[in-house]
Amino acid sequence: MAIADPPPRLSLWRLVWPARTPGGFRRTARVPWIPIVIISVIVVMAVFAPLLAPYSPIDQTLRDKLLPPVWLDGGSDKYLLGTDAFGRDVLSRLIYGARVSLIVALLALTAGGGIGLIVGIVAGYIGGAVDSLLMRLVDAAFTFPAILFALLLAVTMGQGLGTLVIAISLLLWASFARVIRGEVLSLRQRDFVALAKVRGCSALRIMLTHILPNVLNTFMVLVTLNIGVVIIAEATLSFLGAGIPPPTPTWGLMISEGRGRLTDAWWVALIPGIAITLMVLSVNLFGDWLRDRLDPRLRQL
Amino acid sequence: MKRYIARRLLQGVVLLCLVATIVFFLGRLTGNPVDLMLPEDATAEDRAALTQTLGLDGPLTEQFAIFVGKALHGDLGTSIRMRQPAVEAFFDRLPNTLVLIPWALLLGMILGIPLGVVAALNRGSFLDRAAGTVAVLGVAVPSFWLGVLLIFVFSVELGWLPSGRMGGPEHFILPVITLGTFLVAGFMRITRSAMLEVMESEFVKLARIKGLSEGVVIWKHCLRNALIPVLTLWGVFVGNLITGAIVTETVFAWPGIGRLTYEAVIYRDFPLLQAVIILKSILILSINLGVDILYAYVDPRIRLA
Amino acid sequence: MMRQMPRVVMLAFVLVVVAIAPLRAQDQKGTLVFAVETLSAQTLDPILEGRPGNAVYQAVMYDSLVGFNLAKGGVGPGVAERWEIAPDGLAWTFFIRPGQTFHNGDKLTAHDVKFSLERQMGPGSLASAAASMRRTIKSIEVIDDLTVKVNTNTPQLGMPAGLSRAVAPEGAIMPKAYIEKVGEEEFRKKPIGSGPWKFVRNVPGDRIEFTAVTTPHWRGRPHFKDLTILLVPEESTRVAMVRTGEAAIASIGPETMVGASRAGLEVLAVPGTMQAVFQFWGTYKPEVKDSPIAKPRVRQALSLAIDRKQVIEHVMNGKADMPYPFATFGYTDYFSAERWKKWADEAYRYDPALAKKILAEEGYPNGFELKFANTALPGTQFMVDIGTAIADMWTKIGIKVTLKHYEWGSFAPLERSQGPLIGWASMYRTAGRPDAPWRYDGAFSPESIQRLLGDKEICTEACQEFVTTYRALLAELDPAKRTALTDHMVELVANSWTVIPILEGMGYYAINTKKVGQFKAIAGRHELGDVFERIPRPEEKPWKK
Repeated sequence: MAIADPPPRLSLWRLVWPARTPGGFRRTARVPWIPIVIISVIVVMAVFAPLLAPYSPIDQTLRDKLLPPVWLDGGSDKYLLGTDAFGRDVLSRLIYGARVSLIVALLALTAGGGIGLIVGIVAGYIGGAVDSLLMRLVDAAFTFPAILFALLLAVTMGQGLGTLVIAISLLLWASFARVIRGEVLSLRQRDFVALAKVRGCSALRIMLTHILPNVLNTFMVLVTLNIGVVIIAEATLSFLGAGIPPPTPTWGLMISEGRGRLTDAWWVALIPGIAITLMVLSVNLFGDWLRDRLDPRLRQL
Repeated sequence: MKRYIARRLLQGVVLLCLVATIVFFLGRLTGNPVDLMLPEDATAEDRAALTQTLGLDGPLTEQFAIFVGKALHGDLGTSIRMRQPAVEAFFDRLPNTLVLIPWALLLGMILGIPLGVVAALNRGSFLDRAAGTVAVLGVAVPSFWLGVLLIFVFSVELGWLPSGRMGGPEHFILPVITLGTFLVAGFMRITRSAMLEVMESEFVKLARIKGLSEGVVIWKHCLRNALIPVLTLWGVFVGNLITGAIVTETVFAWPGIGRLTYEAVIYRDFPLLQAVIILKSILILSINLGVDILYAYVDPRIRLA
Repeated sequence: MMRQMPRVVMLAFVLVVVAIAPLRAQDQKGTLVFAVETLSAQTLDPILEGRPGNAVYQAVMYDSLVGFNLAKGGVGPGVAERWEIAPDGLAWTFFIRPGQTFHNGDKLTAHDVKFSLERQMGPGSLASAAASMRRTIKSIEVIDDLTVKVNTNTPQLGMPAGLSRAVAPEGAIMPKAYIEKVGEEEFRKKPIGSGPWKFVRNVPGDRIEFTAVTTPHWRGRPHFKDLTILLVPEESTRVAMVRTGEAAIASIGPETMVGASRAGLEVLAVPGTMQAVFQFWGTYKPEVKDSPIAKPRVRQALSLAIDRKQVIEHVMNGKADMPYPFATFGYTDYFSAERWKKWADEAYRYDPALAKKILAEEGYPNGFELKFANTALPGTQFMVDIGTAIADMWTKIGIKVTLKHYEWGSFAPLERSQGPLIGWASMYRTAGRPDAPWRYDGAFSPESIQRLLGDKEICTEACQEFVTTYRALLAELDPAKRTALTDHMVELVANSWTVIPILEGMGYYAINTKKVGQFKAIAGRHELGDVFERIPRPEEKPWKK
């Protein structure tokens, strides 16, 4: 009796070298090198920030304030990308800002994604009343205006990294939960799960050893697609005054601080905006490609 | 069908109660409007007097009971700051936000759907990826940055368009662009995948065999069927738009409910905050229900699910 | 004779034309558009709005019992031309200017003044001074149509100031007959005042529209025909609107000043509108006994470490001044301004070497940890910037600063309970008002919310002396003695180094010189609500470079 195999596991090799399917190689998009390069550069910037940044990002030299980037009149090679209103080096703040953005993304995606993953698996597998209850919570999370919730948290708990991460996690978990639950619902019907049940595995064991590994593909895709959401959420909350407070450099805060000076010091707001755009663009393109590779069923995302 | 609607309505009501309770208690955790309304040299006595005038004295559970009682009669309290019934304040400004939304959706579709079609027809090629990149650009650019840049370029430097506030058609252009660009990616993706699905389906192959021209095939058969999933996006997006309008309304000084919500938080205007969130939720739930019903009507497979 | 008739007629004609011509030049034309960050409650009922909102937009249509000294800033004649205190100090009599009318033609009399004051104290009033008015005012009598007597429980020397828009909004005069006739609801929809502008329309969240009165007004007859006040929360958008001419004047902060002037806009800075300060909380409490901030010299060292001129130059773009002592300004009443200016310039100088020396002497050669709360009223981003700048300056003399950020609405509850704030320093501010004692009471009295010198349990020597001086000040009628007492109070606080001014700030506006003529604001008065009527049209008085 042929027992249907579990779906193929995530294999990095397969990412770059597509499997042979009847009809030749799949004509999906080639490896998106430019996004990968951009993402790598930003990750390197974030990890090696103290080594790469020429100055401390919070050190103020009021006399040197609002200097333009090196290629413009009045710029100096002391400050390659110019300085902001406090005389802080834009390049250094950009580099450290990458670090903050990535830390926020990492923490928020772990927390929010993690919770969503657990809720999705539990709701999808166990079903019944538990499923109903959890899905009602998910609906409530969708209905409640996310930014508002973040604002409320920021004013209650005070601004800071922790508050921001919690706020963004709360924004994310519901969409993770919904998609994962959908996956689990279909996985639940598969033969290998029935087999495990027959063998007497407890629900918990099944969820951990059978369901979880098979939703990881989906999870990874969701994570990559949501990195952009997190970065933009951080920027928007900074704009509204609910993000990480100064003097910590975040890209969103840099835009927020610079937006009043577009006439005379446009680089302060423009450069971090470009950085955000490039990062989110790259991450999204990469995520799209990853999804095409791993699980075309998710195309609806 | 009726049972479906009834079930959804019931779920909606339950949801609403949940949201209302969360808002009530969460709001009050954030502080006290009295502190914000008193001058620096106020005494404790002045504080007590103002607290009483605003109806914020008394235990929390009592306040909650009063709130629920009034809410069931349609009275969601009076805005502390504006001394206007909160419901009135909401509906005064609601049309201003609502009027932006269809245009933003239209923009998203006008740009997104053709991009999706081009991508689907040229699947795997450079055009596909280029279309994808253009679409995602809308998501990647932070909307407030875009808004401020647009004002700077088109209003200040070029002088073509006004810098903000509501008004005639020229006042709509920049806010709609700011609000709508992030929808383009969603519409593009959905159109692309729906088209791809349809393009490989049986009846399209049949149409091709029958010798119908490619144009007719694409238009009449593929696109029309691909548009059905687009409807679902409306429901999701309207919710996003209503919330996301906060940023656009701030940058363009647009007097809508996004900005109203933000102010309610900053000034700790509890009645207004509660009213805004509850009413917004009702709005979003209704729109979602409407879209779902529409979808179920159009696509019989869902009805029976 | 008959042949001279045509000449006579022509002469008469010319005379008539010449007589009419100046009236013609007084024509009111055009719309003055003002863009502001917030309209607070956006209500036209004075008892429902706080001080800032009243000052920005209610002031245009309502007159205040006591007004401004337009030249110096501070208090001057208003609806009342003059006022007298009774010999025993327990009553103030206000003499009302004759010939004032409301917008519906009703005459403004003492009855309206009594009605307005009582309405401000009444149960539905959200006026912040309502409770203290109820405490201090015993009764209000109408002596005759143009005379009102306000009887108080204790001598209230500050009452006229408290009823002046220079200080507070509670002096707004509302029409008694009209409100009694149409009722409160209708009054709120169709408000009527006695000011130089009449209400036209209020669009919530968007704007308020007014039109000028056509008859002469003691505040000045407006040069423009209409006034529109726009609500535009985003500062860069406001500046954009002034650049394109959609607005003539917009309120801005120091950050956008440079950009605005580079774009060719005129920047008006109104001096003496506020003071940015930093202060120490709970320094007298036993739990911070051994903490460095319990020592006045250490606090003084922190002040010496701040290069105020740099902050003024770079954070405020040069548009700020060195401060007077806490909550005092050049126009403060009963105050030896010159003496204190000299003292302040010396005391608030930049001397990091001395600061480090003092720290070493007090036992902190390697600095210490300082917890600092940065907070700012909505829309005053520059306060946060100032806090960031001075935190950095402290770091440079070896202090390890832990900077925590609070949104204003979250900071206020902390002030009250003070638990979390004890031992902390924080940014703060004070508005420009001509009466210092009120502000000092709110900060230093043991019963006050801030209670910075001592509270009911622990009233240090400095705290006790403050209480004595303040009480004496309240009852003192002789101006020379009042000045001496005020100076003593200021000295007490200045030497305690608990609240330390950083700079004297200004209110800033970006102006499109093609849309309005040159005008001056009232010194010490940030808001323009009492200035609009005197703003000329651009052709009447172009801006001089």
